[in-house]
Amino acid sequence: MLKLHDVIKTYDGKSAVTALAGINLNIGTGEMVAIMGPSGSGKSTLLNLLGGLDVPSSGEVVVAGKDLAKENEKGRSLFRRSKVSYIFQAYHLMPTLKVSQNVALPLHLAGIPTGEISRKVNRVLKEVGLEGRSHHLPDELSGGERQRVAIARALVTDAPLLLADEPTGNLDTARGEEILNLLRTIHRERGTTIVIVTHDHKAASACARLIKLRDGRVEGDSTLPGGAA
Amino acid sequence: MRFLLRTLSLSYVRRHKAKTLLTLLGVVVGVATFSSIESAKGTLVKGIRSTVDRVAGKAQLQITMEGGVPEEVQEQVRSLPGIRATSPVIEQIVSTEKGELGSLMVIGIDLLGDREMRDYGFEGDDADLDDPLLFLAQPDSAIFTRQFAEKADLKIGGGIALKIPKGMKRVTTRGLLTPKGFSEAFGGNLMVMDVYAAQDLFGRGRRFDRLDVRLTEETSIAQGTATLEKALGPAYRVETPGKRGEQIEKIVANFIAGFNISSGFALAIGIFLIFNVFNVAVNRRRRDIGTLRALGATPRQVQLLFLSEALVIGIVGGLLGTLVGTTVSQAFLQIMGQTTETMYGVTSSGVVRLPPVIVLESMLLGVGTSLIGAWGPALTASRIPPTEAFAKGAFQARPPGRSVVRITAGVVALGSTILMALRPPFGGNSFIFTELLLGGVGIVLLVGPLSRLLLICLVPLVTRFAPVAGRLSGDALLGNARRTSGTIMAMALSLTFVLGLGGYMGSTKKALDRWMLDALTCDLFVRASANFNRPDFLFPGGLRDELLQLPGVKSVESFRATRPLYQGHQIQVTSIEISQLLERMKYDFTQGDKGLMLRGLTQEGKCVVSDNFSRRYKLGVGQQVELTAPGGKVRFTIAAVVRDYGSDQGTVLMDRTQFLRYWQDDRVDIYDVSVLPGANVAQVRDLIRAKLAGRYPALVSTRQEFIAEITKAIDAFYALTRVTLFLALLVAFLGIVTALLISVAERTREIGILKALGAFPSQLARSIILEALLLALVGLVLALPSGNLFAAFMEGPLAELFTGWIMPHFYPWEILVQLLIALPLISAFAAWVPARQAGRLKITESIEYE
Repeated sequence: MLKLHDVIKTYDGKSAVTALAGINLNIGTGEMVAIMGPSGSGKSTLLNLLGGLDVPSSGEVVVAGKDLAKENEKGRSLFRRSKVSYIFQAYHLMPTLKVSQNVALPLHLAGIPTGEISRKVNRVLKEVGLEGRSHHLPDELSGGERQRVAIARALVTDAPLLLADEPTGNLDTARGEEILNLLRTIHRERGTTIVIVTHDHKAASACARLIKLRDGRVEGDSTLPGGAA
Repeated sequence: MRFLLRTLSLSYVRRHKAKTLLTLLGVVVGVATFSSIESAKGTLVKGIRSTVDRVAGKAQLQITMEGGVPEEVQEQVRSLPGIRATSPVIEQIVSTEKGELGSLMVIGIDLLGDREMRDYGFEGDDADLDDPLLFLAQPDSAIFTRQFAEKADLKIGGGIALKIPKGMKRVTTRGLLTPKGFSEAFGGNLMVMDVYAAQDLFGRGRRFDRLDVRLTEETSIAQGTATLEKALGPAYRVETPGKRGEQIEKIVANFIAGFNISSGFALAIGIFLIFNVFNVAVNRRRRDIGTLRALGATPRQVQLLFLSEALVIGIVGGLLGTLVGTTVSQAFLQIMGQTTETMYGVTSSGVVRLPPVIVLESMLLGVGTSLIGAWGPALTASRIPPTEAFAKGAFQARPPGRSVVRITAGVVALGSTILMALRPPFGGNSFIFTELLLGGVGIVLLVGPLSRLLLICLVPLVTRFAPVAGRLSGDALLGNARRTSGTIMAMALSLTFVLGLGGYMGSTKKALDRWMLDALTCDLFVRASANFNRPDFLFPGGLRDELLQLPGVKSVESFRATRPLYQGHQIQVTSIEISQLLERMKYDFTQGDKGLMLRGLTQEGKCVVSDNFSRRYKLGVGQQVELTAPGGKVRFTIAAVVRDYGSDQGTVLMDRTQFLRYWQDDRVDIYDVSVLPGANVAQVRDLIRAKLAGRYPALVSTRQEFIAEITKAIDAFYALTRVTLFLALLVAFLGIVTALLISVAERTREIGILKALGAFPSQLARSIILEALLLALVGLVLALPSGNLFAAFMEGPLAELFTGWIMPHFYPWEILVQLLIALPLISAFAAWVPARQAGRLKITESIEYE
């Protein structure tokens, strides 16, 4: 599913900063992987590259058979629309849209017919347990519920790859546990490949594999006992 | 896209009503200015032409002559072959005792013979109209259109007083006209009376204003014209009503053309307002854009979203602007009509109707303005990388782009504008358009980098006086180059317009004031017509001797002005007793001198031409002007060229003896009376009034009064221009408010951090006010040279193109002083709401704000 070969990412400025210094990595279809590392290790940059939000300075990022480094802006947009979905720490929900509208947003961008959108939205809202909240605004929901909306939005496109950036970072322990359970269920039932960037050991332990980053390099890559297989 | 518009865009509008309103206002003000001016212009011109057409009725040709058509000509014309009917007409525009009714056009016609020419559509079974003789037996008889009678609350038998040169004259309603065809002329403000009663009422003597002619069926217009021209000679003008309408239109064309510039400026300023508001919308919605992009929105979809919003704003703004424009256009038409009547003796009346073409143009302009303004920000939005959109504060830290290419292009555009103005490669409207476009592009390109440079110089100075607020405002302005330059651009354009147009008006007025002081040097002016350009009544030439005999009178000069066509333009031919005139008047000679003028005009039968005549027709001393007199073509050699502001199409001046010799017409427009040293001017005036009482209409003005009246007419000419200046200032004010609201909104997080670090609300408020003052100051500093260039362009190439005059340039110090007082006050006022908003921000919320 994911293949990174000699990936380097440098940010130009008054002094160039190397965020990733030659990453080589393979993640198979249906894996649930955690990426951990201290601040500045390159976790978020790596996630951005995997999702086609950014391009590497050099190297190959092949996701679902597509080398994202060679795609133009439009190609990467279309890739994001169909192959990948995101969950952010800060949810990034549209504050003015109702829950159902937030979930429907990627389908509208893809030009899916309204009837189908409605059907898919209802299905995923039920899946994440928010069917009774579809007419609420994000501000009217708890942090855990907001993250469920973000997960529903990620699921609605049926993308094979789900990237989560600190999905439990803004939640208390109980709400965080709920979200991790939900992700585990999605992984198990849908077979979605999930990559989670986290500082939280508990979140990492929900995964079957742990990749550790330090100073833009892979420091360790190990299988976790008891994680989602 | 519809989903995004319906949800994301609409919710943004709901959350930011004030900013959306300001954006809309930018479009509304621009479109309203355009549509009101265009529709008022259109109605005025159409009204003039339609009045000529409707009043003409079935007449195929109209015969006119400078000073009126003598009565006996009617008999001569009637006997010519191919003529079916003739009808004399007198036309006079008056006002009534009820000023609110507007101007009234009085048509004097021969009721016994005119039904062949016009279909009046008299209403009811009025016996007076069934028997025209009965109508004619009562000289106060008048017929009004039904719509005017209803407005004036006039019934059959009821009366209304008309203001005429002799004073107030009461007329009695003896009939009503059906509101169709003829009676719709002059917007329905029409009164019909007997032509001979009109002759007497308006002092036409034994002349008509024109003769309407209907040809036999077998005679073509060309044949009829040829027959009449041959029989009447060159002093008479024979033309179709359509051609005559065109000529009258041409007279007001100069006045009307000036307003195109006002419309253009209003729209250009609107573009920058919209640019600014969309710029901030993009910045405020960066996170939303980032989310959309992360969810798979293509750059094109993001750009289309913003452009769709601009489209909606353009449509709504265009509609509102058109509605507002329609509302104010009636007032514009009234001002325009009064001005053209005062300045050119031509006007029209009516209700402004917005033709579909202007609605469409206004809508397109609204949409175009909005799309142009939003294009840049929309493009920026589409290019925001999602990762950057999620990074807090990243966009505020973006450095300004490279400006070498921009500055070079700006200098080239502005340099080309100046070079073209000095040596125009082509003329007409395309020259004006090219100049304004090139100059505008030059200014737009240069304002950004120059304003940054100015701010870099000014901020340290301001910081010395207000260390905290100065630094904060400086950081805010320099930190967001796009927003700052957008606001300053709108400011600089508004102020360029104000300084340029105001400067041009000031220079023109000063030049005219100086000329009047030099030219209008006699003590009393005796005239019969209140209108300077439309002689309602002419004095007999013999009156001069009577005036000379009055005690205290030193000399009397007989001034006569006619307005013949010269190379298709209506010039002014004036005559006076030159030797007496030169004793009191100081001419500014551009060619020749006083001696040449005196000898040339009094002994050699030459003429003097005005500087604008000389320039327009490329004629100078020694060359000849060919004029058409009643007896045929007459050539006058030019003895001198003088500065003269009598007519915007050019003036030819000759000695009265020459005029009497060739024109055989001794009537006089104005008697210029000089009193003996020591004589009491007021007493002489009373003597003149007593002498003329009951015989002639007479307005006797002192020099000061006469100058004041002309000054009032000039002020009226610029009344509408002043309205557009006010609109430009309003747009500038809107620009400052928008920019500051944007500034506060964008810096919410920064303000929160500053407050957390201990900044007082008063310090923040002061910094916002300082920001407004700096924006206004930089805008003004940049507008000083560009406004001066614009004024110089208006006074030089533009004035020369339309009038042949090159106005001397006077720097608009008065306007500058007014701006220096008004701008800081306006800016501080504009900063009040944003400053209060900044002071009230909660620290915890602000810090989390993006």
